[in-house]
Amino acid sequence: MIRLQNVNHTFKIGKKGSEKKVPVLKDISFSVEQGEIISIVGKSGSGKSTLLNAIAGFLKPEQGSIMIHGKETTNLTEAEHAKFRSKNIGFIFQNFQLMPGLTAFENIELPLKIQGMGKNARFQVVQNILLKVGLEKVSDHYPNELSGGQQQRVCIARALVTNPPIILADEPTGSLDSETEQEILQLIMLLNESMDITFVIITHDEEVANIAHRKFRMHDGVLKEAVPSAV
Amino acid sequence: MQFRDQVDFVRQHVKKNRMRIFTTILATTMGCAFLIVLASIAFGLQGSLKKEILSDSSVTKIEVYSSEGEGINQKAIKKIPNVQALVGTTQFNSAVSSTVKFENRTGYGDVKFNNFEEQHKAKIKLSKGTYPTNDDEIVVGYNLGLNLLTKQEEQSTKEDQTGDEQAKKGYQHSLLGKTISISFTPENGEKHTKARQYKVVGIGEKPSKEWAMDMSIQLSETMKPVILKDFNAIADKTMKDKDFYNVSYNVYATDIEAVKGILKELKDMGLSVYSVTEQLDQLNVFFLALKVGLIFVGTIAVLIASIGIFNTMTMAVTERTREIGVMKAIGAGPKLIQRLFVMESAYIGILGTVIAIIISYIISFLANFALPKILDAVMPGSGIEKAGIQFSTIPWELVVIASLISIGVAIMSGWRPARKATKIDVIQALRQE
Repeated sequence: MIRLQNVNHTFKIGKKGSEKKVPVLKDISFSVEQGEIISIVGKSGSGKSTLLNAIAGFLKPEQGSIMIHGKETTNLTEAEHAKFRSKNIGFIFQNFQLMPGLTAFENIELPLKIQGMGKNARFQVVQNILLKVGLEKVSDHYPNELSGGQQQRVCIARALVTNPPIILADEPTGSLDSETEQEILQLIMLLNESMDITFVIITHDEEVANIAHRKFRMHDGVLKEAVPSAV
Repeated sequence: MQFRDQVDFVRQHVKKNRMRIFTTILATTMGCAFLIVLASIAFGLQGSLKKEILSDSSVTKIEVYSSEGEGINQKAIKKIPNVQALVGTTQFNSAVSSTVKFENRTGYGDVKFNNFEEQHKAKIKLSKGTYPTNDDEIVVGYNLGLNLLTKQEEQSTKEDQTGDEQAKKGYQHSLLGKTISISFTPENGEKHTKARQYKVVGIGEKPSKEWAMDMSIQLSETMKPVILKDFNAIADKTMKDKDFYNVSYNVYATDIEAVKGILKELKDMGLSVYSVTEQLDQLNVFFLALKVGLIFVGTIAVLIASIGIFNTMTMAVTERTREIGVMKAIGAGPKLIQRLFVMESAYIGILGTVIAIIISYIISFLANFALPKILDAVMPGSGIEKAGIQFSTIPWELVVIASLISIGVAIMSGWRPARKATKIDVIQALRQE
């Protein structure tokens, strides 16, 4: 499903001409199978978000190969990558990243609009997703009228609505209290089981990391697989 | 993304920034309206001048003059392709005056000798009646009757020191079918030629200008030698044609497109020619330059307004950086992002232009309605209101040109901010709060 081979990347820091090269991804190789949940744990600045951005295609690694669904993504153009993401990858963000001017329903249907789906077809798909994530009663609420947990559910629903095989989650419970965190983690596990979706979760929270089938640790740009966690 | 969804998306953002977009649209409206109204002055004045020129003369008419002493080869002129008719008009020289009598009225007329057959071919219209078929039949000018006064009317006119036209009455009814007598007085002014009776069978068209008076009397060309004989009967020595008459020729083309070709042929024949189309051509060239100049000045106003659009769109991109990042993350390509922003600036341009067109028509209407009245009030007796001068005309071509400039400039103003939006880095954008 996802296969990374010898991925290397460096950031240039400092003023132009006297900039320093800081390696953030060091020879990273790993693979994720379909239906797997993997978690990448690490401290701030360890390079875990950079790794996720590279998988998502927001960042082009200097070296190495990233294969998703059998397709090499490092040589795709920005437009090709956008199209590829639209069909294959969903995102869950730490701070939800919802459009403030759109209702929960409209936020969820946005990826379908981008794909060019018609209004009637969209309505059906969004209604189904709203039921799945338990948001049917607040579909016409704006983000500022929703609780943190509800906002994250909207974010998850938006990631799911295009039926992607992969969901990348960056600190999915980072902005939530512990009770809501548990609800969201349950939902992720449920979706993984019922829809066979592959999850890549970036977190610094061990509890979140423990829901994964496999756990990786990231330190100073180096990725290592941790002892398999008991799910 | 479907087009309808794109429009919805743009409208949502416009709604969100109502005040800012409103002021930008206002600036665009003012710029575009300025352009249209400014250029409409050139269109209006051109239309008025063109109307003025055409009211004097037919567009298919070419006046032909030969060099002194040389005649005109009528046969050769008639052979030129697309010549409909060649109308020769003979007029008395200024030394000869005419006396017209009808019932108990006396007056004068501007006597001409015409070839009615050619006039008919040239499709010169009459307001009433037909062209003469006999020598004793004539066509008179529309206002000739007003010139025929009774002794009382003549007396009251002489007494009226101010020369008030109201005192002059003249014959108020139609002269059609009536018989009038005409005699002539040559240079010395003592003797009169024999008075001859003529039946009025046609009345000329009403002059296009309100102040113009047509006092003409058109006799058949065949009457020329008869009248000359009358002159010689009272003269001390034998007179010839050229002692009394001046001849002018008008060539009539089949249509306006043929005029240019005929003009060239006539010039090649060594003749001096004048056609209203030549005057119109010069007028058109002058007004084309004026229109281009005014549209250019108006475009500067539109360009100034475009700075507002550029600012609004740049602010929109900066404010929506996070939204653009999310859109990109969930699958929106650079082309879609760019299109959405260009559509937003086009929306501003289209709305501003539509409002500007409506406002321009209102201003144009008000200018045409109020300006003549104001000018007449400021300059009494100028007759501007009566003359029906159009100060502003907005033809569809001007609307199209102004719309293209205004909407084009609006789209171009939004282009750069839209390009900037496509280059927004997703990672940086998602970090924004």
